[in-house]
Amino acid sequence: MNAVFKAHETFRDDFTFRNSPQAIRRFPLPFPDDTYMYSVNIEPHLPGLPGSVTQFAFDVDEHYVAECRERAIVLAAEPLRFQALPHMMSAQWDCLELIMESLARDYPAHFSLKRQGNRWHWINRPLEIEQRFVFGDAATLPRQPLDYITRQAQGDFVVMDQREGDLWTEAGMVTTQADWSLDFDMGMTFKEWHGPVPLAHELQVFDRALKFLLNLRLGKPVRRLNWTMTIHPRLDTSPENYPAWGKDRASVTAQNAGDLVHLRVELQGLWRLPRSNAIVFGIRCYLLSMRELVTVPKWARRVHRVLKNLHPALVDYKGLARYRDVVVEWLAPFDDGTPTTPGTAPE
Amino acid sequence: MLVTGIKSKPVYAPLQADIGGRYHLMVGLGVGGDPLLRVIGEMRAAAPRALENTRVLYVPDPAPALTLAHFKSAGAADVRTYGGAAALLEDFSALLHRSLMGTRLYVAGPESFIGLTMKIALEFNLNKDEIRAEECGTLARRVYCVHCRATTEEVRTNIVRCVGCERWLLVRDHYSRRLAAYMGVMADAEVPGELPPLKEVFL
Amino acid sequence: MTPLIKHFTLAPPGGGNLPAFSGGSHIIVVMRGAGRVHRNPYSLLSAPRELERYEIGVRRMEESRGGSHFMHDTVRVGTRLEIAHPVNLFGLDKIARKHVLIAGGIGITPCLAHLEDLHAGTVPYELHYSVRSPEHAAFLERLQRLAGDLLRLYYDSEGQALDAGTLLTTQPLGTHVYVCGPAGMIKHVIATAKSAGWPDSHIHWEQFSAPPAGDAFEAFLARSKLRVHVPPDRSLLESIEAAGVEVPYLCRGGVCGFCRTRVLELDGELIHNDHFLSDADKARGQSIMPCVSRARCTSLVLDL
Repeated sequence: MNAVFKAHETFRDDFTFRNSPQAIRRFPLPFPDDTYMYSVNIEPHLPGLPGSVTQFAFDVDEHYVAECRERAIVLAAEPLRFQALPHMMSAQWDCLELIMESLARDYPAHFSLKRQGNRWHWINRPLEIEQRFVFGDAATLPRQPLDYITRQAQGDFVVMDQREGDLWTEAGMVTTQADWSLDFDMGMTFKEWHGPVPLAHELQVFDRALKFLLNLRLGKPVRRLNWTMTIHPRLDTSPENYPAWGKDRASVTAQNAGDLVHLRVELQGLWRLPRSNAIVFGIRCYLLSMRELVTVPKWARRVHRVLKNLHPALVDYKGLARYRDVVVEWLAPFDDGTPTTPGTAPE
Repeated sequence: MLVTGIKSKPVYAPLQADIGGRYHLMVGLGVGGDPLLRVIGEMRAAAPRALENTRVLYVPDPAPALTLAHFKSAGAADVRTYGGAAALLEDFSALLHRSLMGTRLYVAGPESFIGLTMKIALEFNLNKDEIRAEECGTLARRVYCVHCRATTEEVRTNIVRCVGCERWLLVRDHYSRRLAAYMGVMADAEVPGELPPLKEVFL
Repeated sequence: MTPLIKHFTLAPPGGGNLPAFSGGSHIIVVMRGAGRVHRNPYSLLSAPRELERYEIGVRRMEESRGGSHFMHDTVRVGTRLEIAHPVNLFGLDKIARKHVLIAGGIGITPCLAHLEDLHAGTVPYELHYSVRSPEHAAFLERLQRLAGDLLRLYYDSEGQALDAGTLLTTQPLGTHVYVCGPAGMIKHVIATAKSAGWPDSHIHWEQFSAPPAGDAFEAFLARSKLRVHVPPDRSLLESIEAAGVEVPYLCRGGVCGFCRTRVLELDGELIHNDHFLSDADKARGQSIMPCVSRARCTSLVLDL
């Protein structure tokens, strides 16, 4: 995306975040049909259409600089949003390599990576960062490798060690999450971490996902979409800060629903890491207000229907209970009952 | 948010002797002594030699129904009792340092005692194949406040005031082995003062 | 490098680096011989830190289906080989408190890569290496440089043998054992560990066995509508590939489960040679691992 970075937009306090028309059109709508239920909707993370959010390994968009600033704010107040167990150091370096290589390859106007053996030279123009360091030598970086590089990437990152036939959550940078705590979940296995998700266990979604991920191969990453809703374009909807954002859920009215209620979509990518044999789970967050959503007529109709018919357990789990009906009512005038075409492309 | 029916909640089962192990380390508190004695009985019947490699660490309840003598007469080779869980766990950790592969761990007692024991066992890379745990006694929980990170002990109710930040916390079934505690999250964040009725549930 | 083992160094044709990998990984080497294609897994023995080249060791197999002979006799300096991304089914457990490595013969190869990581780390370890005789001990210099006193050698020719019983009953809690070598050695170590009370999760093994030979048989691929003939010295997987149908695979040795294929019809019996399917699965006869398993039948229809 040929982005002009909106460096000063905010995801807290005055919430100045807005999507440009271009950003709206490329929004990854997670609903291919008019109803929604969980599935293991994993697909190969191959390059998508030019301009789309899946064109590159890691998507950098107009919100890049603002999101990195927001992450820095969260970490200054709560350093424990980044954690890594000692045995995950080689996985940290693997992630740094993956992210730096990808960004430099896919956005050469913004990032550059020059290497002479282990001596690396990294330039991040949007954030005005230049760093020379020795790959593999943590003393040559100002922070731990995963901490260092994820402060220059959009979205959360969770690194899982693979051993004893399972995946263990043992490192991560988590500042833009939809209501789960890295600090609490550190050390959990794949199914324990997903414990709070209703229904999916009975549907064996996690058994199948785990089996698949245990065989994830180098060079063959996968991706899927997940979604929820957020009041205000607030990225930090962590359990830690629930006292600050919880009341937002009770503040939605028929008048403000269009501006306050946001569809929040996670584009999740999973990569096998080479030296550690661990798996990195990238969780990239996209926000779209209802007002922005309805500028695409097909999406307005579709989302109205999905929300109206959503399984009660999902309404509860996704935290929508207090405002779902108000949003459905706000969207109703945009749904004239016309059939929607399958797939997510705007008509 | 899901409060109950969460799959990370530990599942316990009645203890059974694992004759495949070479060394047997048994740890119990209060009424947990009964399952341990039962396992010792199983071993005496099926593989008496195993008792030579069986160690028991036990905290008798304030009103001790079970004593050192009970375990010794059951046949365990090495039995130690302690005044409280803290002293037992310290000794337990030292013992694990000297233990060998082939050890099986049996834990019985209230859930929070099991959790604290498992926390130490984790450091030694003992995993579910080597550990058996039976829960008996009080269901009272340790609750970790996700906001201020304080742990509130002996929680018997569905909501509890955090000892750290004094918020009312909803006690969820989401459990962390690393912290040996259940998650507590602010109960009235969405509408201040709107709390579910207080109920004793973890008796 | 020894009478039976040849050491190969592979580098990318244009220079530059190969993909990084973790110790214990193997690559599948595709060898296009006269009239058949071999795809054999070989462990990477080179240092995971040095990416300008990969090193593998290939043992000449007496009853070979041709792969090892191809490597020994046909491949020369300059020969181009096709390889796939490394896959690791034999990695070190990152939170182990101690590692015990046991290798026999060519099984030393993955241990060499592990040694590079262990040597640079702080976790205690031991390496026990059994070979026929001193002239068959591969990579001795490298082993001694990396492991020093932590290496114990056993020469069959001098009547030395590893005492697995004593070794495995004297390890501290949190030790993991890794064994790679001939099938008999692996079986013995696993059995000894289990009877010493080790849980399965702490016992790791990797076996380099060729798919077992057997009587010729035929299979019909329902979706591709192809009849496949499986000769005695070719695996079902290789025969399916030779017919132009791709089957997902990772280890080609019956361990990883990747090539699991549904059996739609069977008139006869399946010969399961894998280590992946449970006994119940094998009895049910609805799945087969074509990389190593075969059949004795008048009809076999697969969902491919």
